[in-house]
Amino acid sequence: MIKQKAEKRRKTKSEKTIIREKTTSFIILFVFCVIWCIPFLYMIGTSFKSELDLQVHPELLFPSSPSEWTLNNYKGFLVQASGEAGYLIQWIFNSLWSSTASVVLTVLFDLVTAYALVFLKFKGKNFIIGFLILWMTVPGVIGTAPSFAIYSQVKNSLQVNQNPTLLYMYIYMWLIVPGLSGIFNMLLMRSFFLSIPKEIVESAKCDGASNMLIFRRIVCPLAKSTIMLIILFVFIGSWNNLVFPQLLLSEGKYGWKTITVGMTVYTGGSGLDSSGVAMAASLFSMIPIIIVFIITQNKMIDGMASTGVKG
Amino acid sequence: MENQQMSKPFLSIQHVEKVYPNGEKAVYDFNLDVAKNEFIVIVGPSGCGKSTTLRMIAGLEDITSGDMFLEDELLNYKPSNERRMAIVFQSYALYPQMNVYDNIAFPLTINKYPMPVCNKDLVALGEVKKLLSTGIETIVKAVEGALNAKIKSKDRIEKIAMLFEISPEASKKLFDLYADTFKESEDDSNKDEDILAKWNSALDGEIAEKKAALEAEGIKLNDNLYEVDDDGIVKIEHRKYTSYEIKVKVYETAEKLDLIPYLDKLPKELSGGQMQRVALGRAIIKNVPVFMMDEPLSNLDAKLRLTMRSEIVKLHKQIGATTIYVTHDQIEAMTMASRIVVMSRGFIQQIGTPEEVYNNPDNIFVAKFIGSPAMNFLSAKFNRTDRVLELDGMRIALDKKFIEKHDKFYAEKKAQLEELNKDFNEQTKEKILRLLSTTGEDKDVKRNKKTEKKLIAKIKALIEKICKKNTSDVVERPFEQEVCERKLRELTEYLTESHNLTIGIRSERLKIEKLSEVNREKLPKNSFIVKPTVCELLGGEYSVHFDFCGKDLVGKFDAKEKISADDEIVISFAPEDLYIFDPVTGEVIR
Repeated sequence: MIKQKAEKRRKTKSEKTIIREKTTSFIILFVFCVIWCIPFLYMIGTSFKSELDLQVHPELLFPSSPSEWTLNNYKGFLVQASGEAGYLIQWIFNSLWSSTASVVLTVLFDLVTAYALVFLKFKGKNFIIGFLILWMTVPGVIGTAPSFAIYSQVKNSLQVNQNPTLLYMYIYMWLIVPGLSGIFNMLLMRSFFLSIPKEIVESAKCDGASNMLIFRRIVCPLAKSTIMLIILFVFIGSWNNLVFPQLLLSEGKYGWKTITVGMTVYTGGSGLDSSGVAMAASLFSMIPIIIVFIITQNKMIDGMASTGVKG
Repeated sequence: MENQQMSKPFLSIQHVEKVYPNGEKAVYDFNLDVAKNEFIVIVGPSGCGKSTTLRMIAGLEDITSGDMFLEDELLNYKPSNERRMAIVFQSYALYPQMNVYDNIAFPLTINKYPMPVCNKDLVALGEVKKLLSTGIETIVKAVEGALNAKIKSKDRIEKIAMLFEISPEASKKLFDLYADTFKESEDDSNKDEDILAKWNSALDGEIAEKKAALEAEGIKLNDNLYEVDDDGIVKIEHRKYTSYEIKVKVYETAEKLDLIPYLDKLPKELSGGQMQRVALGRAIIKNVPVFMMDEPLSNLDAKLRLTMRSEIVKLHKQIGATTIYVTHDQIEAMTMASRIVVMSRGFIQQIGTPEEVYNNPDNIFVAKFIGSPAMNFLSAKFNRTDRVLELDGMRIALDKKFIEKHDKFYAEKKAQLEELNKDFNEQTKEKILRLLSTTGEDKDVKRNKKTEKKLIAKIKALIEKICKKNTSDVVERPFEQEVCERKLRELTEYLTESHNLTIGIRSERLKIEKLSEVNREKLPKNSFIVKPTVCELLGGEYSVHFDFCGKDLVGKFDAKEKISADDEIVISFAPEDLYIFDPVTGEVIR
């Protein structure tokens, strides 16, 4: 009875508009979602296509018949013909450790810098902030050529070339360290710190906490969500970085490449050109990013919930 | 000198001033001596510098000039954590990521505290021995009960430790003794005396052994088994509390504040009043002699505010810490304070007990600010020749004493202002500003315009300056000097001629009667008939608004009788209940 009544009840105006708005936004979002997903699906499908299908049916999302599904493309790069592990694993390893190093160092730098800029009193603070923001307006690409010049000059003068391990470390230092100077993430952190009520820090100070302690026990735990965001940004940025690594890694061994640089092999006109293998490799190289995204996204929501400062 | 030493205040604030970097002065010449256990309330309208003062005392804000002493110890250059003070903020300032327990325990977990040096095991043995002398039966029973309960051994030890107020080491020793005794002989025929004797002998043996070992290392011990130096004074070390000690203290504090059920909740799960109590707990656990509270109740709803108010007063009595409390609510000030400091525009207007401030306000500002509803003010004409105050046809007779007082007051004020006017400098400017803060007149309007930061305004001012210099050498006198001269002129007039005075009367001193046939014929002295504009029923009484001499006045009327805006009422008052203020300086004459 009650149910029937509820069904019969005329919907109020606001309810109607809500339904209308929801429907339209759903349709628009769905269309965009499909458009964005198609290349991704195409990539997945193509990576499973057989040699024949790749030639005959490039227009299909997935292999044309069940018999055309194959894992051969994955075999191609994971295991070499000689039975050794393929280069892809090495490349992923290179990317993984350099990206992780970037993430750790960037988060550390950004946290400390932002803390100093927000909670410490010193002369010229505003000037420094202004200068850093000004710095953001300079596109990163501009630095590529000068950086490379310095890179090669230092390399030559230190004669790093003679020792392969040293050269490897040297190149990766150049991949990791310049990225730390990114201002955007620091400003993100700073704006979060500014949103922390001053009283919390003051009362901690009154309780006898030193700056180090406030940083460690009060400010950092609060900033968890922003830290997660920065981890995600930096990891993806570092993982996908192409131009500068390509420049530096043009020398050195084949296995030293990062994943993005390594993947360019498949796009060129060299003998390795095979869209199936390329798609499989791309898919494989995306796994770490997806993992990082899932972890950080979860924690990001957690962090946001726990920051609820009432006042 | 000796006498002075005797009456040294607990917390002394001398000539403290605050000038912000942008040149704005927030606090002028703040002087306050606080005795131990006092509850000082600093009250004033928003922006009067009361919070700034508190933050300066707490060390969160730098002092521009002046000194502060806590028990003769200069505080000026000490960081806030070394000032032995705790502060409670309006926004509670709880750490959002920590639960209530951690929030309260936070000050203890980060600081080191002076504690006697001791060998823990040895002291524990001593404690057990002391405990045994209070009666073995209860102890054995308690231990037995704890062993039977299904809890972790760590919790078991802590439970017994809390029960008998001993250290966890001592508690553990008890369990060991119990196990030794009852494992060997499975029959329960052990008599209490036997157990006591057995345990005592075991303890004595161990204590002697440990003592000998320590003494062999050259360490001396006192009767409580603490280590002492060569002069027999207990050695002190600075160390952090152990987690058990913290637990005991947190529970103690939480019990005082009824927070035990909420200890593992996060601040966001608490209501406003509970959060406030946690903030109080964090201050209490620091065990400091001075508490500071910055409008702690303004974020609570009206009902909760009432209960928290009495709770804070209760807590203050219980703990006995000197408290400095900032609020803009004069009711809080009246109900809680042992002394009130009334501030306006950075100046102290009056310091006194609630009764003093209410009954004998020093000036017009205090009279206006303290009391709810606020004091009624009227402007009356002082007729010198007839010695009466003329108030809308009413003539209130004044005695000779008042005339003398009046003349003396104005002569004094005139002399003071003349002194100021003679030599005009920064200090005298401040005195004029103080005068303005009392009367509530506008501060320097001109100068504010001048200091406008806009570039155009600056350039304009510059051009004006240059032009003036070229044409004539007129030096613009400061605003304060103009005020000073104007006031001086007025005062001189007032000394000889009839003039206006501001009179004030508390609403409860206005006697309100309904007009009836009886009192229409025989109106009391100093009375008038009006129609009320609004009658607000407050429950036990009405607050009756009416217009008189163009001012809105408020009186109180007992709600036994009904009253409405249609009734005519007779208002009367006793002349001795009148406060008479000088409108020029704002100070009270009588």
